[in-house]
Amino acid sequence: MMAILFPLDMLGEQANLLTAIVLGFGFGFALERAGFGSPRKLAAQFYLYDMSVFKVMFTAILVAMVGFYAGTAFGWVDFGRMWIVPTFIWAQLVGGFLLGVGFIMSGLCPGTSVVSLASGRIDGAVAFIGGFAGTFLFALLMDWFPGLQRLYDGGSLGASVLPAVLRVPGPWLALGVVVLAGLAFAGVEKLERRFQRGVAGEFAPSDSSGTEVPARPVSAAAARGRWSLVGALALVAILAGLVPVSHPPVPSAEVAAIEPSRLADALIAGEPNLMLIDMRNDAGGSIPGAVRPAPGMAAATLVESAAPGAEVVLFDADGTLTQLPGEWPRGPRYRVLRGGYRGWEQEVLTPKPLAGAPPGELAELQRQHGIASFFSGTKIEPQKGTPPPPAALPGGASKPKKAGGC
Amino acid sequence: MKPRPYWNPYAAGLLLGLVLLATFYVTGQGLGASAFAKRVVAMGTHRVAPAWTERNPALGHYVEGGANPLRNWLVIEVIGVFMGGFIGALSAGRLRATVERGPRISRRGRLWLAFSGGAVMGVAAGLARGCTSGQALTGGALLATGSWAFMMMVFAGGYAGAWFVRRQWT
Repeated sequence: MMAILFPLDMLGEQANLLTAIVLGFGFGFALERAGFGSPRKLAAQFYLYDMSVFKVMFTAILVAMVGFYAGTAFGWVDFGRMWIVPTFIWAQLVGGFLLGVGFIMSGLCPGTSVVSLASGRIDGAVAFIGGFAGTFLFALLMDWFPGLQRLYDGGSLGASVLPAVLRVPGPWLALGVVVLAGLAFAGVEKLERRFQRGVAGEFAPSDSSGTEVPARPVSAAAARGRWSLVGALALVAILAGLVPVSHPPVPSAEVAAIEPSRLADALIAGEPNLMLIDMRNDAGGSIPGAVRPAPGMAAATLVESAAPGAEVVLFDADGTLTQLPGEWPRGPRYRVLRGGYRGWEQEVLTPKPLAGAPPGELAELQRQHGIASFFSGTKIEPQKGTPPPPAALPGGASKPKKAGGC
Repeated sequence: MKPRPYWNPYAAGLLLGLVLLATFYVTGQGLGASAFAKRVVAMGTHRVAPAWTERNPALGHYVEGGANPLRNWLVIEVIGVFMGGFIGALSAGRLRATVERGPRISRRGRLWLAFSGGAVMGVAAGLARGCTSGQALTGGALLATGSWAFMMMVFAGGYAGAWFVRRQWT
C-alpha cells in the first residue's frame, strides 16, 4: 500500500529543500492571516476576549488529526512510518507550563515570533532573539546541573499515542476530539462576547497599530461554516472508524521485562534473533548493537525487518517504559529492559568491587567484571573468565537519531 | 493604507491544518519552530567550544558525527515561515515597523518583556523538546500522549501568568 507519498529520504536535496520552503511558507502565511503576528491578539487568548489562538489551533489540529487517522484507516498512509513525537511526560508538563509563562510575557510563541518579526514588529524580533538566549541558557543549565537530566528524561513512554493508551481506535478517538472541540468552539465564542464588553473602549484606534483586538463578532455565516467543517470532519472520522482493521495491531499491553544481566549474556552469546531498540531521544552512551529509529520513522517500523519469532528488547533512559509505545507488528516477542539504560549502567557497567568479596562470590564477581569491561570497552581489571568476543551483533551499528521535532 | 481584516479563525485554522496534514503525508513528520534556534545555537557553540557542544545533552546530537546542524528540513521550513509571514503581512497592508503594546507600558518595558518571554520559551522548548508548533500542533494532531499534556500546560502557564503582565496589553 502506498504510504507516505514522498518520504524525505527518497527525495533529492533540491526537492527536499523545496518541500520545506513551500510547506513553511504555507505555515507562516496561515499564521499571518490568522492575525498571529500580533502579540496583543495572541495574548488576548489569556484574557478571554479573543480566543483566536484556541480556535485556529484546534481547527488545525482537527483537520490534520482526522486527515491522518482516516488516512491510516483507508490505507493511504502507514502509521508505522510516521515519526510520532516521543513522550517524556515530566519534561513536557514542566516545559509546557514554562512555555505558557513565556508566551504570556512575550505575547508570542517561537513560531509566531518568526511571523511577528517578518511583519515588521520590533518586539517580535526581540522575542525571537530571546529564544536563542533561552536555548543557550538551557544548554548551560543542563551542563551546570546534571540532575536536570532526570527531569529531561522523566516519564519516557517512547512513541506513545492516546489511542493506544486509552485503547480506543484512532478514528473513534479523533471523532470524540472533533465533537468536544466543536462544542468548545461554541462555548469560547460565548465567553468572548462576555469578556469583550469588559475591554470595550480600551482599544483606542491610535494605539491599535493596525491590529484588530478584540476579534470581530462571529457572523452567522462564520458560525455556519464552523459547524459545517466540524460536521464534515466528524463524518470522515466515522467513515474511517467503520473501515475494518485488517491487521489488528498488538495491543499496548504491559510487556515482560528482561534483566540487564540477562541481556548482557544474550548479547555476548551473539543471539541471532535478538533486536535491541534504543527508545531514548537524546542521551549519551549506548548498548552495543542497539538500533535507533531513523529520521522520520517510528520505532515500530524497525521491527518489520526482524525475523518472525525474534526477540525485540526495548530500552529507555530510566525504565519508565513498561508498555509497548504505539502500535507494533505482531510476530516478535517484546521485552523491555528493566531499569532502562540507567539499569544497564548500574547492573552491568558498574559491578561491585572485587576487594573484600567473600571467596564464594569471587568467581561470579570476576565474571561480572569481565562483562563490564567487555561492554564499556575499558579494561577495568584484567581477569580470567573474560567472555569471548561476540559474533557480529544483530542490528548493526546504531543509526543517526531523529532530532527534536520542533 | 488601512490593513485588510484578519481571516475568520476557522478559515485560517483550516489552511493551517491542511498545511500540517500535507507535511505529514509528504515528509512523515510535522512542523516545527524552536528547532531553528536550537540548531543555530548548536552551530555557534560548536565553533567556539566543539568538545563542550558534543558533550552537551541538549545540543550534542545536532553536531553528532560532524553533521552541519543547519542542514536540516526544519531549518529551511522556518525560513519558509518567515517568507510566508512577510508576504502575508505585505499583501494585507500590515507590514510596518512597530512595537506592539498597550497604552500602559513603555516601549522599553515591552521590549524587555518580549526578550525575557522569548528566553523563558527557549528554556521551555529545550526541556520539552519542542514548542507550540512541534509539540502542541504536530503532536496534538497525532494524538501523542505527551504532546497533549504539554498543550494543557501551555494554557495553564499562560492563564497563570496573565494577571501579572496585564498592563502590557490593555
